[in-house]
Amino acid sequence: MSFFGFDATLPRDRGHSSQAPGFGQAQDAFAGLSGRGAADDDDAIDFEETYDGLGDQLDETDDTFNDDTFGNDKAVGKDFDFAGQTSRVADAIEGEGLLWQAKQPPPNIHATRHTTQPAKPAKSGYEPYAQPTYIPDLEANASIWGINPKRQAQNQQAHQRQETNAAAAPAAPARKMMSLEEVEAMMLAQNKKPTPQSMPQAQPPPPAAAPQPQAQYPSHYGQMPSQQGGFSGPPQILQRPQQPPPSRPPPKAHAELPGHAIPPPGQQQPTILQRNRQSVPDQPARHTPVQQAQRPPSQPRQILQNPNRLSGHGQPITQPGQQKQGEFQRGPQLGPSHARGPSFPGVVTHPEQLLHLTEEERAAYLIEDAKRAKRNHKIHLLSKDNGLMTPQDKNFITRIQLQQLMAATGGLEEHGPEAALTEDFYYQVYCQIRGAPRQNPHQPASQFAQTYLFQTGGRYGMGRRHHRGGDNHMQRMEQQVQRAVEAAKAKPKNKQLVIEGSLGKISFSNSKTPKPLLNIKRPDHGDGAQGSGRRPSGVNAHGSTIIDRKTTLRNIENVYDCLMKLEDHERRMPPPLAENSDPQTIQAHMEWQTGTQRLHETLWQDLKIMEPINPNSLTPHPFIAILSHAKGKKAIPRIFRQIDEQQRIIMLTMIVVHLDMLSVVAKAVPSPDEPNLSPAIREEVELFSHAVMPPLFAHIAESPLNIVIGLLGLILDRTNLHLVTRTKIGMSLLTMLISRAELVKQSTPEMNPGDWEQWMQLYNRLFDAVEPVLPSIFPGSVNDTEDVYVWQFLAAMGVGASPEQQQRLVLGVKDRVMDTVAVSKALPAELASVRLGHVNLFMRAIGLDVELLG
Amino acid sequence: MSDAEETASNPVSEPLDLVRLCLDEVVSVKLRGDRELKGRLHAYDSHCNLVLGDVEETIYITEEDEHEQEVQRIIKKQSEMLFVRGDSVVLISPFQ
Amino acid sequence: MLFFSFFKTLIDHEVTVELKNEISIRGTLKSVDQFLNIKLDNIQVVEEIRWPHLSSTKNLFIRGSVVRYIHLPSSAVDTALLEDASRREATAAKDKKAA
Repeated sequence: MSFFGFDATLPRDRGHSSQAPGFGQAQDAFAGLSGRGAADDDDAIDFEETYDGLGDQLDETDDTFNDDTFGNDKAVGKDFDFAGQTSRVADAIEGEGLLWQAKQPPPNIHATRHTTQPAKPAKSGYEPYAQPTYIPDLEANASIWGINPKRQAQNQQAHQRQETNAAAAPAAPARKMMSLEEVEAMMLAQNKKPTPQSMPQAQPPPPAAAPQPQAQYPSHYGQMPSQQGGFSGPPQILQRPQQPPPSRPPPKAHAELPGHAIPPPGQQQPTILQRNRQSVPDQPARHTPVQQAQRPPSQPRQILQNPNRLSGHGQPITQPGQQKQGEFQRGPQLGPSHARGPSFPGVVTHPEQLLHLTEEERAAYLIEDAKRAKRNHKIHLLSKDNGLMTPQDKNFITRIQLQQLMAATGGLEEHGPEAALTEDFYYQVYCQIRGAPRQNPHQPASQFAQTYLFQTGGRYGMGRRHHRGGDNHMQRMEQQVQRAVEAAKAKPKNKQLVIEGSLGKISFSNSKTPKPLLNIKRPDHGDGAQGSGRRPSGVNAHGSTIIDRKTTLRNIENVYDCLMKLEDHERRMPPPLAENSDPQTIQAHMEWQTGTQRLHETLWQDLKIMEPINPNSLTPHPFIAILSHAKGKKAIPRIFRQIDEQQRIIMLTMIVVHLDMLSVVAKAVPSPDEPNLSPAIREEVELFSHAVMPPLFAHIAESPLNIVIGLLGLILDRTNLHLVTRTKIGMSLLTMLISRAELVKQSTPEMNPGDWEQWMQLYNRLFDAVEPVLPSIFPGSVNDTEDVYVWQFLAAMGVGASPEQQQRLVLGVKDRVMDTVAVSKALPAELASVRLGHVNLFMRAIGLDVELLG
Repeated sequence: MSDAEETASNPVSEPLDLVRLCLDEVVSVKLRGDRELKGRLHAYDSHCNLVLGDVEETIYITEEDEHEQEVQRIIKKQSEMLFVRGDSVVLISPFQ
Repeated sequence: MLFFSFFKTLIDHEVTVELKNEISIRGTLKSVDQFLNIKLDNIQVVEEIRWPHLSSTKNLFIRGSVVRYIHLPSSAVDTALLEDASRREATAAKDKKAA
């Protein structure tokens, strides 16, 4: 570059310079030799010539063959390559060029080109390279090369013909054909010729060349008709710009750069260089394979050196035989571009000079060339697949990959909270519940979190070993009992009994102070509301419904399905209505309400709770069967939240009526053979008291006395009390009812005497039924610490008992009290106080204290 | 009426539906390599990946004793919570 | 995605991975992907005498397909939530098919 004084910037920018030089250089060297005349005329011209198309062409096509041809002797190989390529090109060009000439009216252009080229070597050279060379060159090159890269090269004669045909031909042919000797001869001849001559020659040929280039294009197009068509098509974007037919004409118009005439397209191409190449292959899908072999090198080059190539290939192609002259002329312009590569220019220029100067130097130069060729070949190999994908392709792939990444890693937020919930439900809700490390900004799960925190209540899900929910329930029950006890104590004590007996000094306080009140509260309504009145009708009709395990499980899953739908539905509740709500909002609300209603009905049906009760059936009622499964129990709190007051009473009634049929009661009765329950049963009982009891308890805790009366009545009438009283669940339920009644009695000054009387009757019935089994209501041995619920029951009984009943109670459980006190003396202080505390639940309810037993 | 409703609400019946019925139930799972698991099913997916709770694993190993008689040895292991990769699963059935 | 979602909640918990080739590796779950490939930190081979070749390894990546079991800390698993998540997954899969 420096030698010529041309700016290497353009070529460099393109990036081809450095890499291209290698190939270009080898070729260029010859070109320089042949074109030396031109070089003489203008340094720039020389460079251009050397770099023009020859180098690129040779490189591209040869790249694949470089190994074979150059093997050890790169210099020789280069020579051959040039000759072969050029000759071929020449042939093709001749024919094509003629056609083009005939078709196109570029004479002016040619003229302009020639004139301009010499005049503006640097500028013109660059421009042409940049623009015209890119597309046209690429296409032309590809096609040419594809057709017959080396084979043609073999035809030196053909080259000669080309030379003869085209005025410019001489230079090109010389390069192509020449062995060093020939090259020298050419050089000499050129040297002899006055530079002006060379110019004229170049000029005259240019016209021909110009046409030829066009012809070449056509020919190329002919080869790759699709390409042209493709050009028109935007999709081919890649190369089209360069190839666009319109572009060609313009180039001609630009004429300044005959070969470069295509500058505009070329300019576009530069960015799309790779694509262009691809498009070329695309055009002749078939050609591609053939061409690919040849092209691969060219493609890589393009990628690396696109500009050069374009210029080089395009020129060579266009100029093949005849045009080459023109190219050479242009070459100067191009040359500079090639020259970009510092080494290149030097090398190229040197060859010519060196050749002239000394053969040794020449040889050295050739060796260098060989090295470059080798390097270029490597580059070709490495970059063989360069440009296979367009930037668009790459972008596309990148986007796909990113999408996959997002989908895989939780870019879920992008799809909205709903998608995040469906795809990532567990993680989202879990994080909400446990204070996630990472909070979802959309917080779609918070409502679900509440479901699992509170609705599921028991949190039994958090690992079965954490029974917080159950403890909570037991504590609440204990509190209720204690409240009843406290309330009873607060009442005026009619009698204070002090008994000296086996228990030591015991004082009884009779808290039973019925207050006659006349407040009438639908005395018998309770029974009706309990749903007992509903069962008669259907009992027989549907008594044959077969309930087996699978059906029950399916029922449960249906319930869960409905529950989840309901919970989802809740989240979709439209914004609250205001007085000025627009119709749409109101409409949305209406629809939402309808949906809620429908789901509630479905849920109720899925529960099978209204299935008729068949007392004689061997299979349990479908609803009770649901409660025999763990997940059925777990569903209860969530169901309770969804159903209305009436339905809750019905559910409570169903459970009470079937109390002794509940698996947690029927299977949880300790037998003499097995005083301790199996772990499975224990777990089931635990779960029941954690999951089912709390909502029942909460409901009973707010029930009016008539409900309590009704429920206790059902237990007494419909269940095996001895079974019930020997189980934790049965005892707990009884405790709930009794303590609730006591609280109601003491907190309601205006008690309906009818209610109260009814209650007292039931209480007395219960007392009479329980008294005989008092010794056996305790689980396990004295050492069994899980007897709290029994003491709670006794406390609740004691609060409501008459003094006489209290004495009977004390007598009934006397042994257990004394044993426990004795055992606790041997226990560590903490455990002992716990045990004694439990006993005191009962003792204090009847006005005593274990302390008194000291 | 209950049956009709069931079929209506479950129009599509698939093998995995049976597995769903076993959610939160104790199941026994047969695995490749002469292994069996018994535990409570907490999760499954279409690949038969599972999460089981309170698992007992039984491995049946057949060995030859000194008389070249085949002897079956059984190893039992416990795990409180176990993820089972689906490609090992042969069958899932309700326990008992 | 159920199990991917599930395992994400177990990150930073100690798990024991049993591979199909009988090796058991205990370590801290550091990451998981949708194929249930996992990364463990601070690993320790359970029967180190039998599998000494991993004794110098501190952390590793396990391809999901070679896993037989992963033993989990039950305290880190919300079974009720997990069961509902399974139900949702099953329902969603069905809905997809129906659609």
